[in-house]
Amino acid sequence: MKCIVVTPEKTVFDKETAFVALPLFDGEYGIGNNHTPIVGRLGSGELRLKTENETAESWYIEGGFVEVLDNVITLLTNFAVPSRELSLEKAQNELETAQARSTKTPELLALKEKLVQTARSQIRLAQKMNR
Amino acid sequence: MAKARALDKRRKSIKNIRKITRTMELVSTAQFRRAMDRAVAADSYTKRMVHLVSDLAKTGLDVSHPLLEERSEPKNATMLVLTANRGMCGGYNSSILRLALQRYQELNDLIPNINIDVSGKRGISYMKYRKIDIDQSFDQFDHKPAFDEINEMAQRYLDAYLAGEIDRLEVAYCKFISMSKQYPVVETLLPMTEMKSDADDDSSKPGGEKTNVEYEFLPSPQSILEEVVPNAFKVKLFKCFLDAAVSEQIARMIAMKSATENADSMITTLTSTYNRARQSQITNEMLEVISGANALN
Repeated sequence: MKCIVVTPEKTVFDKETAFVALPLFDGEYGIGNNHTPIVGRLGSGELRLKTENETAESWYIEGGFVEVLDNVITLLTNFAVPSRELSLEKAQNELETAQARSTKTPELLALKEKLVQTARSQIRLAQKMNR
Repeated sequence: MAKARALDKRRKSIKNIRKITRTMELVSTAQFRRAMDRAVAADSYTKRMVHLVSDLAKTGLDVSHPLLEERSEPKNATMLVLTANRGMCGGYNSSILRLALQRYQELNDLIPNINIDVSGKRGISYMKYRKIDIDQSFDQFDHKPAFDEINEMAQRYLDAYLAGEIDRLEVAYCKFISMSKQYPVVETLLPMTEMKSDADDDSSKPGGEKTNVEYEFLPSPQSILEEVVPNAFKVKLFKCFLDAAVSEQIARMIAMKSATENADSMITTLTSTYNRARQSQITNEMLEVISGANALN
């Protein structure tokens, strides 16, 4: 089963995998071989992969879509980095700036919530990596 | 001796200019490769995005989104003009600016209020010279526009559009078709009417190769569409910047190549004139010596 991660800048990941767990908008979603075709909305969080020789990899992705078809998983996301490259400090700063945003209109409130969530998921993953 | 020396001086300065243009050609060739690679890499994202939209359309979903609908009475429009930060690239900047201004005048008749945003120092100084007010200007996007920055900018436009502050967004830039073909265009990015017709085309096509695939949508096609449309806009804007970067490097490469060739041919003509001048000077001097010797006899 092939897994491809594409950002607007480049294709960051293109490998054969045995198992993939990806962050959907409402929680983690696991995909094994011969999965039914899906199109889903991604949230931000950890993308866990097991390659064919059983080595685990972890990536951080931020929003986008996933398409599964004929044993090819395609993730379109705006941002993807290996999890160990996440910086806890930077994520915490981001959380602070996000929390300081104004919430005057419903749109601004929604945007703030989204940013806070993104920052929190980054922090969570960064802490997990540091452990 | 005066004439020959002046010729030699000129030849030397042309040689120096040739060195500069040659180096600039090499630099832009290297930058073009890099810009090209980035453009190709971005292509795969765009293609998959289009594929996703057509899949969505095939589910029989009515493709509708505020960003796709044309507004009946547009009042405010924004035109974004992408130019280079530097010159020395032939007609690249002027051709974009000419087209942009032409379109600006056309739009002026249709829409009461038009803002102009400019990226690139060349465009900024041109607008200043023509005394056209610029709303926002950017000069941080060089040959390597980053998606993060474009993303932020795109988000601002999206917010303004959804809030009703702008009813139309047009981008003037140099479209890249192939190594030998790039031309300036003005494209309407918001509303994204083009995307809608794309989706309609795909859904009406009978017997496409993957029409039978039944996707499971998480959470629902409608909600995915809501995410896809703004993303498609961002990527499209990003692509405009990438195209502009590639075209700029090609334009500079070609301009510098012909400048180097011109310098070469000037050096050859100057060398032969210099040699002739030197030769005639020597002949003259010899004549003088001989006539002087003759006079003594």
